[in-house]
Amino acid sequence: MSSTLKAAETAPSARPSTRPKLSLVQRLSWFDVKASPYLYISPFFILFGLLGLFPLVYTLVVSLHDWELLQGQGDFVGFENFAATLQDRFFWNSIFNTLSIFILSTVPQITVALVLAAILDHNLKGKTFWRMSVLLPYIVTPVAVALIFSNIFQEESGLANNLLGLIGVEPIEWKRETWASHVAIATMVNWRWTGYNALILLAAMQSVPRDLHESAAIDGAGGVRRFFSITIPTIRPTLIFVIITATIGGLQIFAEPRLFDVSTAGGVGGSDRQFQTTVLYLWEMAFFRQDFGRASAIAWLLFLLIVGIGLINFFISKRIASADGRALKKKTTQKKGSSA
Amino acid sequence: MSFSRPATAAAAMASAVALALVATGCAGGGNEGGGSGEDGNITLTVTTFGTMGLDALYEQYQSENPNITIEASNIDTGGNARTDTFTKLAAGSGLSDVVAIEEGWLGSVMEVSDQFSDLRDFDMEERQGDWLDWKVQQVTDSEDRIIGYGTDIGPAGLCYNSAAFEAAGLPTDREEVAELFGGDDATWDRFFELGREYKESTGKAWYDHNGFVWNSMVNQLEEGYYTADGELNVEDNAELKERFGWISDASEDGLSAAQTAWDWNGGKAFTDETFATFVCPGWMLGVVQGQLEAGGGGPDTGWDFADVFPGGSVNWGGSWLTVPTTSEHPEEAAALASWLTQPEQQLAAFEAAGAFPSTTEAQSDLAANPEPNEVFNGAPVGPILVDRSQGVVAQFKGPDDSLIQENVFGPPLQKLERGEANEQEAWQEALTLLDELVG
Repeated sequence: MSSTLKAAETAPSARPSTRPKLSLVQRLSWFDVKASPYLYISPFFILFGLLGLFPLVYTLVVSLHDWELLQGQGDFVGFENFAATLQDRFFWNSIFNTLSIFILSTVPQITVALVLAAILDHNLKGKTFWRMSVLLPYIVTPVAVALIFSNIFQEESGLANNLLGLIGVEPIEWKRETWASHVAIATMVNWRWTGYNALILLAAMQSVPRDLHESAAIDGAGGVRRFFSITIPTIRPTLIFVIITATIGGLQIFAEPRLFDVSTAGGVGGSDRQFQTTVLYLWEMAFFRQDFGRASAIAWLLFLLIVGIGLINFFISKRIASADGRALKKKTTQKKGSSA
Repeated sequence: MSFSRPATAAAAMASAVALALVATGCAGGGNEGGGSGEDGNITLTVTTFGTMGLDALYEQYQSENPNITIEASNIDTGGNARTDTFTKLAAGSGLSDVVAIEEGWLGSVMEVSDQFSDLRDFDMEERQGDWLDWKVQQVTDSEDRIIGYGTDIGPAGLCYNSAAFEAAGLPTDREEVAELFGGDDATWDRFFELGREYKESTGKAWYDHNGFVWNSMVNQLEEGYYTADGELNVEDNAELKERFGWISDASEDGLSAAQTAWDWNGGKAFTDETFATFVCPGWMLGVVQGQLEAGGGGPDTGWDFADVFPGGSVNWGGSWLTVPTTSEHPEEAAALASWLTQPEQQLAAFEAAGAFPSTTEAQSDLAANPEPNEVFNGAPVGPILVDRSQGVVAQFKGPDDSLIQENVFGPPLQKLERGEANEQEAWQEALTLLDELVG
């Protein structure tokens, strides 16, 4: 900022009409003012360009070619890979599985995280202990989670079936039945992410002004009512963030289904692809069937799908929360007015 | 053509971790090539899979060659090793100095054989005569480059559970068992017939799952999923279709225990007589041993090994050690790989893991030394396998052989044993999958 001052001081008279000839120092300081901010933020964009944008574009290039994993680039084939993918029943199967696992994991996950956060937001004894405890599963790597859970959901002598047996439920074929396998995989995801999301939501909840709660309580609003009318609208931005990241993560599930049953069919997600998610299908296409062109096409279609669902989620969560928000705003202004 | 040879739970976990690293793009770096230290010390990296029985040999090599340090990693199954190798080949980096490759996916490797060192530049010319001819032939490309030192081959005998046999009133002595199955004239027909009798009297399954029996049958054919000149050979392959019918009938009669291969309920299926017979190529003996350990069973579970195989001799599986061109020390790497595949070392590997040697000298040594195998009720597995290897020639493997085995025929075979499809539907599914996956 000091440089702008200097520049202004040294050439005050030349301002109105023609552009004066600038000295080197002046030009440098002009450059400093105009360009520095961009330079400061450029590392991110350079890295993003290298590690984000370039692969994205390159993937598009690959997807337009016949491209074998080992032999490399082949002929240009236009959108043939996309057409082939869109006609492939395994692709749609993987989309179905992804969406199913996504819904089974994201919805309960965020609901439970909200409730957990609300509970943790109260004055519990040993708060740090409880807060650390919910985060604990997050520290475990997905691979370890997958190994543990694939053991628990072992069909013949796994913990889950043993427990179900105690209450007289027939053993469930966790790794063969589509729904059972989706529930099992969603369980892994939920186990790992619920606590993490709960903590983020908790952080947001703690910044909700207490006097809002207090005055609402004085007006006779119950805990549930305050939760929905005060807490949720106030933490809206955080909630949207959590929903969006959960969406992106949910649609990219890979390690869990990949490691859920490594022994069957080369680990492509079940003997009949019962739990093959789209990313897993992408992996199969690239490294199992060695068709890089098709795999890249799948990657792009998945990208578009995620953007699409992300946008839908964004608008829905914005609408729901802001409707409440408006109502709340009205109410609070009224209250402030009346109490004043 | 095994899809693998899982070892212990620890190995499984290690590879699962490795897999996840591959998945997140973090692999590479770590075990990329070897490095050389200041005073001529060289670090060589080796990647193997399953149970190849080389671990003790690394130690020996290091003490005999003090300037060499070996960093070995082992991947749990051949299938995962395939993924690992292909991923790194495609990336153009990350391959070890010595990489083990397997017969089932050799077809794909041979398509890019120029990415592996021609071992004739080292000592292959002199050593070529050590191996069975076809073992060298398989890794010779169209330009006569030889890219692999043969480790093991896969002649197969029959593993059977003598306790289960006894319970069913069948003979338990391994020679009588061989006789029972038909000795040199053993057929699949007889195998399934005995299976039906066994099922009748005990109500239990005869073999572990369809996939392995099917593999054995396919490997026995002169031409399997591909003709010898590399054409796909499934749809109009009458022999294949016929065998599919046999398996379908056997499944219908409940002879298959429908186990998940490479898992076998954590090895427990081997210890509780879930099934009574198991097809056993040499290297599979190491697998059975590992499964018994994992399932908490020992020699007393009653497994034995008979000098007989339904449908005659077969070669199932077998591996090579290669030196990728990305290696920084190809000469030292080749020397190590060559040493590891010398007859003497092959015998040690056989001792450790049942990997049946591919050099003729080691084979004749084995024939002369009937060392009893403790895990298999003292069976002289060496001489038995030598016997089983007579007349064995490996089948040509096409580029997608392992894919066809596991992902084209795997699912329909599983549906058969689970009673979810009849023969017609299952065969049709296999053809559909073939069309979709291999095209």
